[in-house]
Amino acid sequence: MYEGVRSPLVYTPRSIGEFSTIIFRHPQAILWAGGTHLMASPDYYPSEARDGIIDLAFMDELKRITRNDRYVEIGAMVTARQLLSAGRLLLPPILQQTLRSMGTQIVRRQVTVGGSLCISDARLSLSTTLAILSASAEVKRYDQGKVTTVWIPVAKLYDKEGKLNLGSKSALLTRIRIGLEFGDFQRFVVFGDPIRKSDECGIVALHAKREQNGLSKVQFCVTFPRKAFHISKDLESKLSGSALPIHPEKVNMLSHELVAELTKMHSTISDLQLERARRIFESFLHDLNSQSLS
Amino acid sequence: MKIECTIDGKALTLSVNSNKPLSLILMEDLENQSLTSYCRGNACGNCIVMVNDEAVLSCLVPAFRIRGAKIRTFENYQRSRQYRDIERAYKATGSRPCPACFNARSMIIESILQDLSSSNKQHATAPLAKDVKLDKEKIIRELSLNTCQCMDMAELIQIVEVALGYRNRRRRVRRS
Repeated sequence: MYEGVRSPLVYTPRSIGEFSTIIFRHPQAILWAGGTHLMASPDYYPSEARDGIIDLAFMDELKRITRNDRYVEIGAMVTARQLLSAGRLLLPPILQQTLRSMGTQIVRRQVTVGGSLCISDARLSLSTTLAILSASAEVKRYDQGKVTTVWIPVAKLYDKEGKLNLGSKSALLTRIRIGLEFGDFQRFVVFGDPIRKSDECGIVALHAKREQNGLSKVQFCVTFPRKAFHISKDLESKLSGSALPIHPEKVNMLSHELVAELTKMHSTISDLQLERARRIFESFLHDLNSQSLS
Repeated sequence: MKIECTIDGKALTLSVNSNKPLSLILMEDLENQSLTSYCRGNACGNCIVMVNDEAVLSCLVPAFRIRGAKIRTFENYQRSRQYRDIERAYKATGSRPCPACFNARSMIIESILQDLSSSNKQHATAPLAKDVKLDKEKIIRELSLNTCQCMDMAELIQIVEVALGYRNRRRRVRRS
């Protein structure tokens, strides 16, 4: 049916060493993790991948989950389903909720952690949650015959529009590290359908630690796939240290500040998305108040 | 690219483009009639097949990932004992999905039943799933993978419950 379309070569490295040999020879090759995003693009097939495909499925180093007293390390090729079943006792509840929200079990079998973080132009729920959990990612960069390894906070992997920036054209995200000290207030809400209707969707996540009558370590991120990846340092600092319960007027003021910030920095977000994000943010703060009063 | 795999019990060697989606291989190269999916990876949920006994969306599986895999489509699945449980549940409840989504919905229900049965096996001391309160929210989420609007969610949940009952009864009979 598609005569003339050349079948791309598929390389299947078994280790990171083998991978580096291949990537130096084929720097334009497509890195294949779960493939759920790549295959959902409208021009996926028939098309030619001139420099071939590097299938990461056989690299056992990328499939490990390790844990010590301070952090959990998750390989990039661990699937959402594996992580959810293996990490029920060790992962923060907000991450479990995020993994569950990523799709049905059938889809979660195919979605990988690294693949989800490395979508080039759309930020989905996992990036949002890992950003507020202060997770970092190990990135190997392959430039001019040299390999450099860096740890980058997940929040800094993306620009303000949510586009991926690994710092090199040939780079591999190998694992992520999540600290095990997390706050007791975690909220995560997805509105709309990020896969089928990404234009109308948004993801809001808040993480904070309640200490006596105050708040500390507040992390807040709101994402609109293909439009914005927004971490408001200003709001975070205003919320950190504030006494609980937060006055309703202050809640209202902060939520409108969020909208003003989003409108100023990202012009493509629709009014409906803004309003929904604002109300969800408000509901998080009201929830925080009600918990502090009970 | 030459790919060796087993589809519906037949060992095949396929000569296809390495990045061709499994759904297209089944529909175009093998003329499998049980699949009707042209969403191109947008998760319409109509192209579900079993790869190594796990339900997957075949539009999201490229050819190079099926090397050595055992693939089972609805054509083969409908001749199995497992399908009988679902078929009987359709009859007992008096509701069936429309012909457009029938195959995919049955495969999703099978996936849910497998999941519920395996979680039962893990808790061997727990009572059988019939007596366990089903996590309806989870079932609704799984069933919503297929976007066809032909059936009410309540009807589908009822089908899952009845099919689970039949499956457990069959297991108990076999065990005794």
